[in-house]
Amino acid sequence: MGGDSLIACETCGLVQELAEVPKGSAAHCARCDFHLFHRRPNTRLRTLTFSLAALILYFPSNLYPIVTAEYHGIYSETTILQGIRTLFQDRQYVIASLILCTSILSPALKIMGLLFLSLTIEWPRWKKARTWVYQVIRIIDPWNMLEVFLLAICVSMIEMGQVASVHPGRGVFSFTAVVALTLLATLSFDPRVLWDSPEEKKRYE
Amino acid sequence: MNRLVAERSLPKAVIKKARPAWLLWLVPIGAAALCLWFLYRDFVATGPLITIYFQNVSGLQAGNTQVQFRGSQIGQVKTLTLTSDLQHVKVTTRLAGSAKDLARAGSLFWIVRPELKMGTISGLQTIVSGDYIDVQPGNGEPTNVFMGVEHQPLAEQPGALSIIVRASALNSVQEHSPVFYRSLPVGEVTGYQLASDGRAVMIRARVSQEYAPLVRENSIFWNAGGLDIHFGLFKGAEASAISAQSLLGGGIEFATPSNPGAPAANGAVFELNEKAKDEWKNWAPSIPLHLPDQAPRTDSLPNSQPPEPK
Repeated sequence: MGGDSLIACETCGLVQELAEVPKGSAAHCARCDFHLFHRRPNTRLRTLTFSLAALILYFPSNLYPIVTAEYHGIYSETTILQGIRTLFQDRQYVIASLILCTSILSPALKIMGLLFLSLTIEWPRWKKARTWVYQVIRIIDPWNMLEVFLLAICVSMIEMGQVASVHPGRGVFSFTAVVALTLLATLSFDPRVLWDSPEEKKRYE
Repeated sequence: MNRLVAERSLPKAVIKKARPAWLLWLVPIGAAALCLWFLYRDFVATGPLITIYFQNVSGLQAGNTQVQFRGSQIGQVKTLTLTSDLQHVKVTTRLAGSAKDLARAGSLFWIVRPELKMGTISGLQTIVSGDYIDVQPGNGEPTNVFMGVEHQPLAEQPGALSIIVRASALNSVQEHSPVFYRSLPVGEVTGYQLASDGRAVMIRARVSQEYAPLVRENSIFWNAGGLDIHFGLFKGAEASAISAQSLLGGGIEFATPSNPGAPAANGAVFELNEKAKDEWKNWAPSIPLHLPDQAPRTDSLPNSQPPEPK
């Protein structure tokens, strides 16, 4: 290699020469000054830290109420699970299972998958399992967008402020953080490390 | 390809110092700190779990009914379960951390329901908000088990003068009926019972501390409840009642002669007259009273330090 190699900026497409990057430094595009990389920088650490934080906040997001409503002294707190149970009791089976999948099961699966990927990526074994997990995450991902839909419902409930005083509970903050953190963790995961050979891993470190 | 590279030298990527990677660990650390803060707030905000036994809990809802003290929410009913002997309902209630001093022996809990009695409507807000549990704090040892009372207990009034009024019949007098002096309510009826020989009704009443000096040994009491109707030859009929409350709920009025006797002692017994004589109403003894300032007090804001329980 001789240290020098050609690299295309992922943002503006400029092909440029990249000298060897010393540790603790990062390459920037000569034209648009954006990050320049063969593999996303710190992809493993980023995915690990973001999904770990998401895992930590996953518990308060499901244990604490999403909304607390007060209507002339009638006080009610609702967690996601209680909301799903109410929907089941009202025989809204489709919506209930949809919310169960999108707001409880899929974030959990995604967090577990990302943790698995970031923790085992250095191992030579389980390459196939990792690819499979990555596939599953890719399939789940679009469904996570329904969380945004759920947040929209929350917002509309808060809009009811004139009728009843509805406060967002702690759960909704944690839940938003979980959504954002899993999104960041997925974004910062570079799938190319899945099939990089040990030499490539070393080179693109 | 090689010619292209040779002819046009490509731009060189810029090498800059990168942020240290360990900064990324701040994200999960921050998340953990947030969780710990939630737990800490829960720990601070959560008071004891107390158990109250009630005869009847109609209107209470598990997970919804509030416990209020001085009008502010200090707890929430968690579960309602029947006791094994089917005589009571066990109400478990989570108090707020700030209300943990209410979990003391002597605290009285009762359920506030809409009530129409004695000419006053109370608990009207519960029609919308649902019934709630109110509490009168006690000052005994901390405890977590309480026996609920059926009705709102009479608020303790230190220094109030307790008297007994002997009446031939109870008529419209009830518990909480007012005691008037010059048509001004100065006390209330706290209870009644038949005399031991069954020949009269003993009405227990109390007069607030500031008005207690008005009651003298020679004071005269009469029934002020109901409608007072006078028929006059020239005036026609004239009806009067001290207040709408006494019209429906009865009341007792008293007057003290212009030459007042010695102040009445606690437990003094008076006779209740059926009707007032006009001359009683004209009595105007001069009795010095220590009345609290009527203007709203601004000088004595409550200390930030809560008062020590007595």
